[in-house]
Amino acid sequence: MGIEVRNLSKTYRRRRAVINAVNDISFTVETGSITGFIGANGAGKSTTIKMMTGILTPDAGAISIDGMTFEKNRKDIMRRIGVVFGQRSVLCWDIPIIETFRLFKDIYRIPTNIYKENLEAFSDILGIDKTIHKPPRQLSLGERMKADLAASLLYNPDVLFLDEPTIGIDVLSKEKIRNFIKKINKTRGTTIILTTHDMSDIEALCENMIILEKGAIRYDGTLCGLKSDAHTENLETIVKNIFAGEAV
Amino acid sequence: MRKYLRYSYISIKEYLAYPSNILAELASKLIYLFMQICLWKALFDGSTMHGNLSYIDTIKYVAAACIVSIIIECNTIDRMNQQIRSGDIVNDLLRPMDFKLMMLFKHFGNTVIKSLLIAVPTFLFAIRLISGIPFSTDRLLWGLISVSLAYAIHFLYSLVIGMLAFFLIVTWPLNMLLGAIYKILSGIWIPVTMFPEFLYRINMFLPFRAVYAIPVSLLTGSAGDVKGSILCQLMWLSVFLILAEFVWMKGYKKLVVQGG
Repeated sequence: MGIEVRNLSKTYRRRRAVINAVNDISFTVETGSITGFIGANGAGKSTTIKMMTGILTPDAGAISIDGMTFEKNRKDIMRRIGVVFGQRSVLCWDIPIIETFRLFKDIYRIPTNIYKENLEAFSDILGIDKTIHKPPRQLSLGERMKADLAASLLYNPDVLFLDEPTIGIDVLSKEKIRNFIKKINKTRGTTIILTTHDMSDIEALCENMIILEKGAIRYDGTLCGLKSDAHTENLETIVKNIFAGEAV
Repeated sequence: MRKYLRYSYISIKEYLAYPSNILAELASKLIYLFMQICLWKALFDGSTMHGNLSYIDTIKYVAAACIVSIIIECNTIDRMNQQIRSGDIVNDLLRPMDFKLMMLFKHFGNTVIKSLLIAVPTFLFAIRLISGIPFSTDRLLWGLISVSLAYAIHFLYSLVIGMLAFFLIVTWPLNMLLGAIYKILSGIWIPVTMFPEFLYRINMFLPFRAVYAIPVSLLTGSAGDVKGSILCQLMWLSVFLILAEFVWMKGYKKLVVQGG
């Protein structure tokens, strides 16, 4: 599924202040690619993701996912996208994780054979079989994150949105999560859109990146392109310079 | 349908996760009922009638109201407030489902388990306390229809108030105010027929009595006009159906997901 975003804008009104969270941005995400969204806190990453997943209504502009729009095909799109917010869990807090998985099986009408296949695959790669019968409140953040990731991929979505999926996760678990994301992208051709503050996530995963600053796009292109433009291999330095206001 | 029922099932499981909460809730209902009956006994001491209700009618009414309240009361307002305030509502909005129906089925699961674990013991306790069944049998069917309508009205009312958080974010002061008005005017504490004339008149034009006063009067057999009562409930049901749809459409566009 290709994603087209045209002239998207969103403003928040707080008492008298007007905040242009996203200001007239346009970009395209190719089917099967992994795209990284980078930006300082408050640059508009999460707002953009929330509009692309149909949670927030844009003030202006259009989003089309494989030719479908939220105005016309809301439920169809919802069935075909997976979303993981690193800071919020979809898992029911007080009951075993497997119950949430069963809920997803019913919501997305996952055929039993695919459900079982996926569950096995996720157990192998993410090791969730040890935690699946425990409620999330008894898990560590890393274990919970893996279970969240598994839940959002149970129904084989065409597009996966990851909003800071590695926030607060240790190095080893991070690597596992990254490998898993890479594998899903390769084997299933899932389009992946990811926001992060961790440059090593981007280095490990993304071919394309979009850099946002104050609600506008500063860079939209490949990771290699950005590095050759800036004449350095150090992504962290490049991004720091951009955030500090220097030209790319 | 199956996916919605799964939400009911999950809310049952969640309710059962903390057994001490269930015990505390049951205890509070039993104590409340006991105190209500003691209170009315003291108030009726020496007199036979208050308004147009006798002592036995009144304690039947408060016992029936207590049991009906266990079935009808819902935590939808709190649930929505909490979800909107924390931003966790995104998880529900991402599903290819109708949000309002999802909330209804969550509430329904709660009702099923609470009816079994809280309402049944309270009912048995009430029979023991008033040495008789608090319901009248000749209009039981109408009573049950009326309770179902009241259930729907109360849910929609809670949904509408809960959705005000889209606009206000923090709604507990409003909830406190409405909660107090609700408890008095709905007839859950005091039978509405005992109200002074002017309050009774005002209440005729408000939705509150459609939730407790009407169904409980029908159940206990103290209501005169069955048709009028059911029609009144149907009217309020349609009003809240339209209102819920309207507030949803307006509120959803206003949604600001809090907390990044």
